[in-house]
Amino acid sequence: MLDYILAGIALGSIYAIAASGIVITYASSGVLNFAFGSLAYFLARFYYFLDTERGWDQIPAVIVAVFVAGPVLGAVLYLALFRHLRLATPLIRIVASIGVSVALPPAALMIFGNDTITSAPGLASAPVRAYKFFGATMDLNQVIALASVLTVLIVGTLVLQFTDVGLKVRAMVDTEALTSLSGVSPGKISICVWMVTTSLAGLAGVLVAPANGLTPGGMTQLLAAAFAAVVAARLRSLPAAVAVAMAMGVVTDVVQKYLPENSSLTHAVLVSIPIFVMGAFLLVYIRVSGKIDEESSTGGALDRAIQPVGGGDSSSASAAAAVVRSRTGWSWYLVGPVAIVGIVAFLPGTLNGYWLTLLAGGLAYSVILLSFTMTVGEGGMIWLCQASFAGCGAVVTAQFSTNHGIDPLLSVLLGALIAAPIGLVIGLLTIRLGNLYVALVTLTVGLLAEQLIFTRDIFFQDGLGVAADRPAFLSDDRSFAFLALAVFVVLSIIVVNLRRSTTGLALAAVRYSEPGARSVGLSVLGMKLLVSALGAFIAALGGGLLALNYGWARPTDFNTFGGLVWLAVLVTIGLRSITAALLAGLTFTLVPGIFTTYLSPSWGNIPTLLFGLGAIGVAVNPDGAVAQNARALQSLFAKVIGRLKRDTGAPTLPVPPKNSDAADGELVRVLEASR
Amino acid sequence: MTATMPNTDAPTPAPVPGTTPVLECRGVTVRFGGVVAVDSVSIVVPPASIIGLVGPNGAGKSTLFSVLSGLHRPNAGKVLFQGTDITTMSAGRRARRGLARTFQHPEVFAGLTVREHVQLAHRISRHRSRIWTDMITGRGFRPADRNEVARIDVLLGALNLADIADRPVAGLPLGMTRLVEIARALATNPKVLLFDEPSSGLDEEETEQVMRIFRLAVEHSGLSLLLVEHDVAMVLSLCDYVNVLDFGVKIGEGTPDEIRNDSAVRAAYFGDEIVAETHPAEGVAP
Repeated sequence: MLDYILAGIALGSIYAIAASGIVITYASSGVLNFAFGSLAYFLARFYYFLDTERGWDQIPAVIVAVFVAGPVLGAVLYLALFRHLRLATPLIRIVASIGVSVALPPAALMIFGNDTITSAPGLASAPVRAYKFFGATMDLNQVIALASVLTVLIVGTLVLQFTDVGLKVRAMVDTEALTSLSGVSPGKISICVWMVTTSLAGLAGVLVAPANGLTPGGMTQLLAAAFAAVVAARLRSLPAAVAVAMAMGVVTDVVQKYLPENSSLTHAVLVSIPIFVMGAFLLVYIRVSGKIDEESSTGGALDRAIQPVGGGDSSSASAAAAVVRSRTGWSWYLVGPVAIVGIVAFLPGTLNGYWLTLLAGGLAYSVILLSFTMTVGEGGMIWLCQASFAGCGAVVTAQFSTNHGIDPLLSVLLGALIAAPIGLVIGLLTIRLGNLYVALVTLTVGLLAEQLIFTRDIFFQDGLGVAADRPAFLSDDRSFAFLALAVFVVLSIIVVNLRRSTTGLALAAVRYSEPGARSVGLSVLGMKLLVSALGAFIAALGGGLLALNYGWARPTDFNTFGGLVWLAVLVTIGLRSITAALLAGLTFTLVPGIFTTYLSPSWGNIPTLLFGLGAIGVAVNPDGAVAQNARALQSLFAKVIGRLKRDTGAPTLPVPPKNSDAADGELVRVLEASR
Repeated sequence: MTATMPNTDAPTPAPVPGTTPVLECRGVTVRFGGVVAVDSVSIVVPPASIIGLVGPNGAGKSTLFSVLSGLHRPNAGKVLFQGTDITTMSAGRRARRGLARTFQHPEVFAGLTVREHVQLAHRISRHRSRIWTDMITGRGFRPADRNEVARIDVLLGALNLADIADRPVAGLPLGMTRLVEIARALATNPKVLLFDEPSSGLDEEETEQVMRIFRLAVEHSGLSLLLVEHDVAMVLSLCDYVNVLDFGVKIGEGTPDEIRNDSAVRAAYFGDEIVAETHPAEGVAP
């Protein structure tokens, strides 16, 4: 028993290092670092490169990899990226850190080579020495983990409590605006914080590699566990994060004593512990305080005054000066998207073979991306589990069409109809959460689905997945591409209509100000549930199409972090634009195709790297490429049209109402009479 | 419905027997931890009247407002709307019944245009189902209803917002943002409007204009107004009846003239030492 507890404490120590890194970053810069796992991977891979591949000793290797490369990487990231995010919206902050998280693993592969690493060394030299404590053994790696967390805690506490720098950091955590007014440069403090936390990421990565494996996937598990502790700490409390992380480590190892070894049940239980911890804490917090919101606890009045308005939406600030006349009725601004759809409609006729297959797949991806346009773009809810909804659509399609003999297209629809209520439930569960918590919870829901549901044999089939054959009349890629495009167009019309109608106004109202929306009589719950269900429906529809496109429903195609890459690509091109969803879907399949066909296969990692870099670029241009260019074109159009109108000389004056009935618009009549 | 002219010497509208107040709260208490922000306060808003709620900073005015509009649930006490108990009703449902409000820090929809604010409020109050039916009927591709456009133009014109109707509110100065909130609130065709700090952010001319519109609305369409304000002079010149809060307790109420002469109110505003002896006797709220 003591063996398990000691091992658990060692594991918990690693979680605690990761969790404290994330909490410190969040508290001091407001960035919830989704790239923490990738940073850990990158630095641990560097350590492996130095230690194993170059034959360095552990001590110099760890000093260079963790305590030199770590701070340098942190400083570079801060200066190049996170510095610009101080006043960005939560969505932009999340997407930018997702961009880093997407870009780092392929960068590591390109720099350090892509050999498969079967076992990673710890910090102790092999053979690893073991120590006896009260009859239980603890190896040197575990001792080092425990010693590391103690060092971090003690040094951290001393620095924070008793030094000048610590005082400044604490002041900045409380209110950055006032701290900068009192002559402290937040930039200098932030760069220090990023250097320290990136080192912590490296340390956690090196320590966890022997247990979890030196792969991006292994680091994802580390990230999930750390996030659970971070949520339990309400994003800001360092002691709580450390305590919960330690407890989680102990629980993880102790339950192994009672579970059968090497069974799928054991694996499922172990990976879902963090998720249940997170869920339990959220439930408790919601029951105690009714609502849990990251914004309520941060900063003073001044900080709030300079914060961006409008939740997940970014277009407000940059569009502030623009005149908007085009959101109801038909307008010339619809011409652009229609033209682009028209051009894409020509492609299936002109492309062949390999490219046609890629095109059809890209169109299916476009449909999935449309679900982000719906939930994140229109609804302002940062949902990171759309990949799981798409996966749900895919596996249901395969099950119904292959195992139950139902028509494939009907199966796709069934998959979407099954996903919609699941979306509704998640919407209900997250209704009282602030933006970041919604992102975290949906991310873990996605991981949970991936680990517990998609790995079931009935869906997984040793990674092959279940066949999903197309109906006969869609068997060639050309007709299938047309079908996918048709589905995309129909869904787009629904989304565009929704955006421009009263529904869209109501959604925007809820997105920008919930109290304001309530004050005009809107039900925030109703609007959010609508978006949740519709988003899940669209994602599952796209997933079903994608399965039909491949002919297989492979759960591995729909892993949650893969879904983050989709979001990164979409946000790069434009989150709120239909055209962007179409182009992003095509980019997602065609660009890698171009790279592998026309360039050396060793460049296969570059597209993913580019997707990540693109998402980072969102920090500079929050509206995405399409929105930016479309706005420039629109204002040009508006000028031309304005000139034409002036020539015809037909000013449009408001017409007073002819027959306003008594109950309706009484106040308006009064006002009119008074003029 | 008889219109009540503001600032007349007519009898106070508050305790008129026989008429159901449009909005009323009885014994409302709100505690934040150990602090009692509002201590069993009762307020009556009769139909077609302008009622003031004044008090120094921290008196509990905004908290009481949140309770009335449904954003905050009181620890004790009741809120009645036209005689119905709405204490547990959500803010959204209260708004649909005709209880509109503005916020001390304007809560506008940053990315929407001025017109869209009014349009949304207007549609919710008149064609609520359109929030859902528009998805099916394809209204997003058709131009807005002419009648609706015309009505909205009237309201925007009255508040001098016509020129900026198609601008997103994100870039507007505070005064205009406040006007947008007022336009939005009036577009819901409310029975009572809770108005938080009308003078802050508006210049004299804008304030005058808003007050003119409010008076018109109160006289002709039966709207009632509850003003929260720390500018006592303004409240006394505008309201029919005034309630005074201090440290969460109602320390006085009456017509503007009565309030002007109320020693407890003077004590709260000008310092206790002047009238310290009389405070306990007169300061107890009924």
